[in-house]
Amino acid sequence: MSNSEAQWIAEAQAGDKDAFAKLVEKYQRPVFSVCYRMLGTATAAEDAAQEAFIRAYLALDRYDPNRSFATWLLSIASNYSIDQLRKKKVTILSMDNENYSWLAPPDPGPSPEKAALEKEKQALVQEILSDLPETDRAAIILQFWHDYSYDEIAESLNLSTSAVKSRLFRARRIMAEKWQEMQMISAKPQSSTAKRITHETSPI
Amino acid sequence: MKHLQFEDWILQDTELNQEHQRELQTHLKQCSQCLGLYQATTQINHLFKSAPIPEPVSDFSQRWLLRIEKTEQRKNRLILAITLAVISLATFLVLVGVGYRINSGALGFSQILLEMVTMIANWIVFFNQLNNIVAPLFRVSLKLISPVWLSTIGISISGITAAWIYALSRTRSLQKELQS
Repeated sequence: MSNSEAQWIAEAQAGDKDAFAKLVEKYQRPVFSVCYRMLGTATAAEDAAQEAFIRAYLALDRYDPNRSFATWLLSIASNYSIDQLRKKKVTILSMDNENYSWLAPPDPGPSPEKAALEKEKQALVQEILSDLPETDRAAIILQFWHDYSYDEIAESLNLSTSAVKSRLFRARRIMAEKWQEMQMISAKPQSSTAKRITHETSPI
Repeated sequence: MKHLQFEDWILQDTELNQEHQRELQTHLKQCSQCLGLYQATTQINHLFKSAPIPEPVSDFSQRWLLRIEKTEQRKNRLILAITLAVISLATFLVLVGVGYRINSGALGFSQILLEMVTMIANWIVFFNQLNNIVAPLFRVSLKLISPVWLSTIGISISGITAAWIYALSRTRSLQKELQS
């Protein structure tokens, strides 16, 4: 943790919202990313990420400075997203139904073909994740995109390390089966991207 | 080696040593099921790595500041509403007590005034004592209990207090009746 970050945390604990806004600025991308991967739509992700930061701000008194702030924040975001999925049964929508204005373009001025490919990839990722149970999905997201160790995932999701291992194993099986199933359905529009991915990966 | 062992190797994310890797490659040439699983996991990994990282639109922190302001305003309004409710309840109880006194006793004006002053003084002493007990508890519970639960507990205590005061005044009036 940097000195400036520790200072912002201390100031925010004293009630300075502007200091916490600096932390929001710093961590908005990983928190939004977790919420987006969990909930599948940019609108739901925006709402969940905002709420996660509010919960973190209100619970700042309980934050242990010996723990990584990013880990603490992402555990709040993933647990809130899990709760949202359980409560509201958020439907994982295809990116085609989405208002893209919420998402900043990943690359300034991409070609239409590249932008379309990235949208398709995003939709494919969400479709693969959509079959996973909420907690397994959070574990996969934290491990794959945020490089969490088994212990960190266990701590974030209130699970034992062995439970995390078995959940990740089960999740990988479900995702592989889903991928194989998607490849077999050749009529599906996303199969073109799936085929491209297949070509991009090296053969055995 | 059993087929399931190879599936485990494919699905677990730990690095295989060279010997196990060789065994797995040999098995993949013979087993189409494991080959399919291996290719699927490899392709998913590639897809996940190459998919763009979703990002929020600009001014996310500004929107957060507006949202926290609204959240705090809501919280403050709730606290204000609870405070007003408690004050209203206390006022109501005082008025009921005064009305009951005036109604029940055929007392002179000076006696009523004296009774009222005594009662208000008793109430002040009571609330002071209550404050001494409740304030430290409240400070601790604010850290531990959510505002909703605190409100529920506050309303419950108010209800119990009201019932207790009512029972007390009934007893006193019965005593007076017996004496007269």
